[in-house]
Amino acid sequence: MAVLQEYKCPCCSGAIAFDSKLQKMKCPYCDTEFEMETLVSYDKELKNEPEEDMSWESAGGAEWKDGETEGLRSYVCQSCGGEIVGDANIAATSCPFCDNPVVMMGQFAGKLKPDYVIPFKLDKEAAKEALKKHYAGKKLLPKAFKDENHIDEIQGIYVPFWIFDADADANIRYKTTRVRTWSDNNYDYTETKYYTVIRGGTLNFEGVPVDGSTKMDDGMMESLEPFHLSDAVDFQTAYLAGYLADKYDVDSEQSKERANKRIKKSTEEVFADTVQGYATVNAEATSIRLQNGKAKYVLYPVWLLNTTWNGQKYTFAMNGQTGKFVGDMPMDKGLYKKYLFGYTGMISAALFAITYLVWLL
Amino acid sequence: MQKRLLGLLCTFFLIFSCSMPVLAWNDMPLLVDDADLLTDSEESELLSRLEAVSESGQIDIVVVTIDSLSGEDAQDYADDFYDDNGYAKDGVLLLISISDSEWYLSTKGFGITAVTDAGREYIAEQILEELGDGAFFNAFMTYADLCDEFVQQARNGENNDVGNPLKAPFPLVRNLLISFGIGLVAALLMTGRMKGELKSINMQEKAADYVKKGSLKVTQSKELFLYTQTNRQEKTTSSGASDTHTSSSGQTHGGGGGKF
Repeated sequence: MAVLQEYKCPCCSGAIAFDSKLQKMKCPYCDTEFEMETLVSYDKELKNEPEEDMSWESAGGAEWKDGETEGLRSYVCQSCGGEIVGDANIAATSCPFCDNPVVMMGQFAGKLKPDYVIPFKLDKEAAKEALKKHYAGKKLLPKAFKDENHIDEIQGIYVPFWIFDADADANIRYKTTRVRTWSDNNYDYTETKYYTVIRGGTLNFEGVPVDGSTKMDDGMMESLEPFHLSDAVDFQTAYLAGYLADKYDVDSEQSKERANKRIKKSTEEVFADTVQGYATVNAEATSIRLQNGKAKYVLYPVWLLNTTWNGQKYTFAMNGQTGKFVGDMPMDKGLYKKYLFGYTGMISAALFAITYLVWLL
Repeated sequence: MQKRLLGLLCTFFLIFSCSMPVLAWNDMPLLVDDADLLTDSEESELLSRLEAVSESGQIDIVVVTIDSLSGEDAQDYADDFYDDNGYAKDGVLLLISISDSEWYLSTKGFGITAVTDAGREYIAEQILEELGDGAFFNAFMTYADLCDEFVQQARNGENNDVGNPLKAPFPLVRNLLISFGIGLVAALLMTGRMKGELKSINMQEKAADYVKKGSLKVTQSKELFLYTQTNRQEKTTSSGASDTHTSSSGQTHGGGGGKF
């Protein structure tokens, strides 16, 4: 008995049949006609698509050596429970997370030693300057916030990140169109040609970071990006002198998902960019596999600036390597209304005058 | 000639049977209200308006109302009514058939030039609602006024054509509302941008900063043609002037109509 081969219509996904009159495949649902060879190769491509696999091969971080943690102390904030690490000499001042001055000292006990650290390149003064610049030119920032605002404390803190290296292996199938239009005396014609476009290849990622601390706002840490790994050095406890360090409390296993999401999105974009010369490009099937995936445990330098205004806490952060400064600021609602009504009035009046002039002409 | 006589008879019949205050302009009055849609005072007011407009434009502006077309084509009825009742060689006739809810506007001679297809559509736009509401007097007055304007324009060499429509009164409220709407949206966009300046914390969706330079290797690149779809759409013609046809008496008319 012959094996029944069933083909799906690439246009509407209906089961497609051979039309003996046309000597072609014809979809009974949408009436689109296909050459037999087209369907065979289309079907082959569909079957070739590999499964998606975004697993990682190794987790980062090394074990501490004996005696290495001796100079380290961990500080637990009694107010928010935040745990930070510093060297034994640091005069602990206030908790960088909740700004509470009560900090207790305890014996350092950490699981993993960071693989790399990017040392601070910018100092406290630079952070103060950057804050001033951050305020500048913001029309809706309450004036009182700028004037009364005293930064309670500026602290340099090493934030734990998991960074992921991986080779993304991608196979993506796109449905694309080319459109041609022409006219005769009575009609305008639009001809749309549909294509299946296949792209396969690899793209290597290096050091995709994921915030490893729940104390640090993920959005804020991602806004500080990028950190450049070219400055990273092997971790030595000496780098912590004078600064605070946070310990990871999100392990690499939990952080993967975030890295995968970003790697996937970028891979899709890069490959979509290689599909040129079409009117529309839509990805129909995407399969991305990660190979040689490696996670590493690193510390990135961040300046944290805390301030309180009208009973609310505002946190600013500066990338200690590049100087990128981020932090949401409050809005002056009265000022906002003034601008909104002002602009509405001005633009409306101008437009109304124009419509009247046009009518006059 | 017979038809003309018939028309005359009709006139007399109308005058005496309905005791309508109709003034004879040519052979037939410019207002023939067979369907009796207007009161006596409205009739005299409309008629004097039609006469004034007709005289100043040297063209017959006619209003005819009937009870029913009795199955006849509105175009034929209107054209024949105009041709057979001794109206001037230039004219515009508005026919209303009340039981068919049908209107037709027939143009002839200079009327064809003055009231183009676009002009006719404009008139219809202005009066259809009033016709539907039964405000016949207002509709007919508007019609008379618009015909007057169109004829004046045409005499001055202007054309109420597609590219040069009749100037409508300045739409004050509409323009105010539209200006305000656009102004508000633009202001919201501008203040939204100012608001956005205060926010600098966003999640990153991509990892583009961490792509190793030159690491993209495309190992597979294929294109497979699937199928073609062709659509055709009838062109919308927007020719300027009036389409014309020939009436039963062999005269050239323009015009058009519809339901109200």
